[in-house]
Amino acid sequence: MTRSPKPIGCAQAVEHLYELLDHELTPDLEARVRAHFEECKRCYPLYRFESGFKRFLAARTETRRAPDELRRKIFERIMFEDPPDE
Amino acid sequence: MTSDKTDQQREFEREALPHLDTVYRVALRLCGDPTRADDLTQETMLKAYRAWHQYKRGTNARAWLLTILRHTFINEYRRQKNRGIPVDIDEVEHFTVFENVNDVDPEGQFFDRIVDAEVLQAIDNLPDDFRECIILSDMEGLSYAEIADVAGVPVGTVKSRLFRARQALQKQLYDYAVEMGYIKPTAP
Repeated sequence: MTRSPKPIGCAQAVEHLYELLDHELTPDLEARVRAHFEECKRCYPLYRFESGFKRFLAARTETRRAPDELRRKIFERIMFEDPPDE
Repeated sequence: MTSDKTDQQREFEREALPHLDTVYRVALRLCGDPTRADDLTQETMLKAYRAWHQYKRGTNARAWLLTILRHTFINEYRRQKNRGIPVDIDEVEHFTVFENVNDVDPEGQFFDRIVDAEVLQAIDNLPDDFRECIILSDMEGLSYAEIADVAGVPVGTVKSRLFRARQALQKQLYDYAVEMGYIKPTAP
């Protein structure tokens, strides 16, 4: 038996927007919040703006690796370190 | 015993060292400068190695390392930095960038014109607790529960800090974009 998700209002959807974008909602609530943003003309622009900002932030803080010299130093110190106390 | 030492090292290499890049990136954004970030990363990894027996096997090694990093940063590295503009996080709550740009640039395309260094500076200007949430969530992809675990606060606090941190970050970038003429300010 399938049920269509119970609709939620604008205020509730907006309250859960970041959780939706961060994949923090339960599948049921996620479906309801997502459905609201897809259908509500007033809320959709906010969804588009915030999801765009999240993508922007991810792109601008691209993954940077630890410098090789630092990696080597840490590795060597651990190699010569006495074994940790049990 | 030599063989024990080797086993510990092997285990540490396998479980902890793969998270070195994460530790370094978080250290870099917490400290704001590469030299101190190097020291903080090194100290975190050595402390973790010495306390390896306290790590519960099969749990979240990344979160465990980040917790050690956080404590080390707070106890030994946190001090006033020369920051550009200190951000008053409470003031930001009364301002929503989206509402101000909705008529002229609803997709926030002005963000794209801002250079990387300015974006990082804006992150660095956030108060420590808020910066930490942005770093762990938006840069490193930790879940709210993992961030709560690292920061030692309830999940609800993580949610509220993340909300305020993102709004404050948007506000700073918006102000910068206005200053640079990338977007017209809305009439008061």
